[in-house]
Amino acid sequence: MDRETLNAFVDGELPPREMARIAALLEGQPELKAYVLKQEKLRAALRFENLMMTAPPASLVETVQAAPVSWRWRLRAVLGRRFVVRSLVPATATLLAGLIIGLTLQSSGDLVQSQGQMLARGNLAQALDTKLASSGYSGEGPRIGISFRNRVGNNCRTFTSGGQAGLACRQGSDWVVGTLVTQSAESGGTYRMAGSEMPDAVRRAVEASIQGAPFDAIAEAQARANGWAGK
Amino acid sequence: MAPPSLEAADMDASLETIRHQMVQLLPRLRRFAIALTGSTADGEDLVQDTVERALKNLHAWEQGTRLDSWMFCIAKNRFIDTRRSAKRGRTEPLEIAEQSAALDGERAMQSHLAFQETAKALQALPVDQRQAVALVLVDGLSYREAADVLEIPIGTLTSRISRAREALMTALEG
Repeated sequence: MDRETLNAFVDGELPPREMARIAALLEGQPELKAYVLKQEKLRAALRFENLMMTAPPASLVETVQAAPVSWRWRLRAVLGRRFVVRSLVPATATLLAGLIIGLTLQSSGDLVQSQGQMLARGNLAQALDTKLASSGYSGEGPRIGISFRNRVGNNCRTFTSGGQAGLACRQGSDWVVGTLVTQSAESGGTYRMAGSEMPDAVRRAVEASIQGAPFDAIAEAQARANGWAGK
Repeated sequence: MAPPSLEAADMDASLETIRHQMVQLLPRLRRFAIALTGSTADGEDLVQDTVERALKNLHAWEQGTRLDSWMFCIAKNRFIDTRRSAKRGRTEPLEIAEQSAALDGERAMQSHLAFQETAKALQALPVDQRQAVALVLVDGLSYREAADVLEIPIGTLTSRISRAREALMTALEG
């Protein structure tokens, strides 16, 4: 196997099936596995976690809050309704789609509403709890895509179930479904983040919240063993 | 038609949201800038410059697209410009100030040494490779996102990262 493929594996850049295939292959190839472990160690060192734990200087925060803003932006914001139109139309469409899907899934008992949040239940909750993407898809029930840690330290997983796709993050003992869309012809563009079948809305939700790379097979199994508890 | 005051309020709310998102981005931008420049002071100067430019040119940012990618792009361009204008062939020692208040004694020392060593290896990379590493390995952007920020084809990005990885492994193992 060439180095670029292995690197892409370490970076979580391969489609789920390929990630799983390589993860399985590594078990019988100590040399390759050692390479992968070294690369993961390098990534960990380069994350410079200590820098992230340091609060940015107050002067920078002040600049963000007080530096002058482009007059052209202000003018456009006041004169043009374009912002509103651009952001409201898709938002309304998403809301409607979400309602319809919500109702469909809810009737199957896989989702419940609780205090303004959508929580996974039934088959969906069970799949999120137990299934490993790296073990491949059995062909039945919800299918798990990628798993990752989000920026606030919770574990999240993408899923598809009965023509719908979404993103659920573990909070306490619940899976909170923050994004849910129908899988339609909306598959334009190239794949990203190892999610060739991921609808754009789910992909964007992942990209906006992910911290570091998606879990590899080992991290996925570890997270499951820890009951998906965040840090 | 809504009264103008309402629109002005909308604008303020929108601007406040953007400023808030920028504050949230500061730790990532700062880490990215320090990884590029190799120094806390230069990195923070770069972030300051980036933020000022971003707000001054906010009309160039397309609402609904990613703010982080756009700001990384500005930071990257400013970094290149600064290097060009100030002939900074500096060989000053690294001065990355690591805050390790949470650690103590030997562990802090080890962590500090590992940090310095990694940062030094990063600075030894050619600029194009360092940029790619700072986006993908340091910040965790996907290849596609990083290629977009750097305005290069994805194949160029992956080969830069591969070369950088080899160099970093050699430096850190050797």
